[in-house]
Amino acid sequence: MVELERQDNYIDDINRELYDIRDEFSYSYKADKGLTPEIIREISGKKNEPKWMLDFRLKSLQIYNELDVPPWSPDISDLDIDNIVTYVKPKTDMKISWDDIPDEIKDTFVRLGIPQAEHESLAGVGAQYDSEVVYHSVRQYLLDQGVIYTDMESAVRDYGDIIKKHFMTCVPPRDHKFAALHGAVWSGGSFVYVPKGVKVDIPLQSYFRSNAPGAGQFEHTLIIVDEGAFLHFIEGCSAPKYSVNNLHAGCVELFVREGARLRYSTIENWSKNMYNLNTKRCIVEKNGSIEWISGSFGSRVSMLYPMSVLKGEGASSEFTGVTFAGNGQYLDTGAKVIHGAPYTTSTINAKSIAKDGGVAVYRGIVKIAPRAHHTKSTISCDSLMMDNNSRSDTIPVLDIRNDEVDIGHEAKIGRISDEAIFYLMTRGLSESDARAMIVRGFVEPIAKELPLEYAVEMNNLIRLELEGSIG
Amino acid sequence: MIKLNELNTLPVPTFRWLRVNELAIDDEIDFEARPYGKDFLQMAPQGELIQRQMPYNGLTDRPIMKDLMDSAGFGVSEDLVGFADTFHNSGMYIEIPRGIKVTEPIMVGYKPDSDNPTVIDNNLIIAHEHSEVTIVMDIASSANASAVHNGVTRVVAKEGAMVTVIKIQRMNDSSFHFDSNLALVGSGARVDYIVAELGSKKAAVNYTCRLSEGAQSHINTIYLGNGDRHLDLSFLMEHQGRRSTSSIEARGALRDMASKTFKGTIDFKKGADKSEGSESEHVLLFDRTVKSISVPLLLCSEDDVKGQHAISSGKVDQDKLFYLMSRGFSRGEAMVLLAEASFSDVIDKIYPKSLEDLIRAEISGRLLHGN
Repeated sequence: MVELERQDNYIDDINRELYDIRDEFSYSYKADKGLTPEIIREISGKKNEPKWMLDFRLKSLQIYNELDVPPWSPDISDLDIDNIVTYVKPKTDMKISWDDIPDEIKDTFVRLGIPQAEHESLAGVGAQYDSEVVYHSVRQYLLDQGVIYTDMESAVRDYGDIIKKHFMTCVPPRDHKFAALHGAVWSGGSFVYVPKGVKVDIPLQSYFRSNAPGAGQFEHTLIIVDEGAFLHFIEGCSAPKYSVNNLHAGCVELFVREGARLRYSTIENWSKNMYNLNTKRCIVEKNGSIEWISGSFGSRVSMLYPMSVLKGEGASSEFTGVTFAGNGQYLDTGAKVIHGAPYTTSTINAKSIAKDGGVAVYRGIVKIAPRAHHTKSTISCDSLMMDNNSRSDTIPVLDIRNDEVDIGHEAKIGRISDEAIFYLMTRGLSESDARAMIVRGFVEPIAKELPLEYAVEMNNLIRLELEGSIG
Repeated sequence: MIKLNELNTLPVPTFRWLRVNELAIDDEIDFEARPYGKDFLQMAPQGELIQRQMPYNGLTDRPIMKDLMDSAGFGVSEDLVGFADTFHNSGMYIEIPRGIKVTEPIMVGYKPDSDNPTVIDNNLIIAHEHSEVTIVMDIASSANASAVHNGVTRVVAKEGAMVTVIKIQRMNDSSFHFDSNLALVGSGARVDYIVAELGSKKAAVNYTCRLSEGAQSHINTIYLGNGDRHLDLSFLMEHQGRRSTSSIEARGALRDMASKTFKGTIDFKKGADKSEGSESEHVLLFDRTVKSISVPLLLCSEDDVKGQHAISSGKVDQDKLFYLMSRGFSRGEAMVLLAEASFSDVIDKIYPKSLEDLIRAEISGRLLHGN
């Protein structure tokens, strides 16, 4: 067969104009730059926190100072923590009614489609602007069933015991340097409790927006899905681009109780100067299940590896992720699964696309404890290289400590094959349509897991533009 | 003092808590450089080739050594490679002239005993353009000896040459084994390794192949763990030239408290377009107490390549085991049959056939009578 002339695929950068709209930066309180116990006392004081939380913050700061940046991490030397403003309070208190939110903040969320989505297809919405949650609402019939959906600050006040019992037990500050940083300066985020047996039939959503230049966003999300309950939670993140580097070191702690099911979807589309060092973890009890759907598009550097700890017999986890690294981006993402009990199952399906000098890394671990007999795990990693300026690495580890296991792992790396394009062209498609179809097919497993409006958003994010034609 | 805390480092590091970035050995190992007083060249084919013992001062005068010195950064550790370069007590220098095809294998065998417990071999194999050669290296140990082996083998395959290296390690459970291998595979050349890692208390082996344009390299390996032994296997394929091809295929079996770490890397460097690399590992797990760690890396800086890996691990099929036992085999015998069936593709490639029997004896000895 005549070899087709080599053609580089060209996919345009994600259109970020929508997200890059900056709002004039105004605030009611802003912490000094840098990180000292005084600043932490100040943040805690402004929030009227109980003493245990202040102590927790100070202890975390101490741990933060002790720990080093992991030697395997992407280069984050540009990130100067002393220059990141850890706490920015927008000029509004939390509102229940959308109309009460100041116009410039409201406009941003309207542009991002948040209230519209709420009316159409969501059970509840929380919106965080810089460090504080500015809007929270949840449908009445869910409140009647005992569902709690509120911002973290209110939760620390109103549900102190539950928070104290769970807060950073899943991701302890000692886990890594940025978890410690989070423990010290966290602000905002959501708390969700779904009582036993309650099935939340339409998704809850939180949207995080970082607007202040040089600011860190450290929201904390804590979700407890009690026995036999079900929840779908959607998280969206964005930030405009400033010349100062921003930091996002959020923390997501999920507790899935016996027989419960949680689906956690994320589309992260931070601006290209954001350092996204986020920690997400879920503890799954007996027969519970967690489903992660994760799309990583923006940011300059991402280090994100959602972890599932399968603690109870019969627990399961499913991870589906797409990472799209373009010019100037280093996206180090993946998944971790710890099989800690018998009869547990896990599936990892990771896809990445690297183009225009972007670096996409899959980094993962599946660990099977000695007592976790009869476990099953399937891991599949696919990487698509769009040109030879980019880089794509797959770094998985399988650690198996008993014999009653069934583990399958496969990974593939390469470009869109000329044969596939050629075949589609023989069926009457143009070359650009053929390429577009293949890339859409590549991300299809993620797109189909997302609610419609998010799938549409993702399709907008991956806008295909193909150059040239076959000679 | 040789440092043994950073062996077989992963080409790119990952999470520290997994402890796979490097191997640390805390055993007291006697690395004294004493002479090895036994013959080791066991079969030397006739014909037009150079095959002699590696001189004690190494080969610093050979121009080819310069290329080799420039290609550092391979092996179990820099210390161990340096130690073998400086203090080797055995090893072969083999040079095959242009166009010569050596049909009989060159066979080298070591069997350290209590009088000669240390083998530090330094080997250099140069295959000139379009030549062919097979080298077999077997290392065992006497039953009563606590032996130490630290070897370095460099292979230079010039344009169109074909080199096959067969390495068999079947040392006893009180011995230590370190083996560093480097292949510089010239354009259109091919270097194949067949590796059987069956014994020793702790073993750390490293194979690094650097592939030029149109070069090929294939590693077929079998490994066996029993008792409380540990195996650390590291294979690295560096695709430097375009249209190069590589494969790493591993078959293993673990029983008792044995542990193993398998690190296989396919690295497509910039300029290696139209290259293909594949990697697979299949492990049979016979007991609940085994530990099996796999780190299959794919590193890629070129888009027009095909890389893939597949790993599967699992308990031995109970139906198969039960069937064999219902036919009168003991559990141990059934294990031997299943391991041999899984290993047969690799064992069949081992030459000469006398070695095949030694390998089968080692496998059945370890699986039948393991503790």
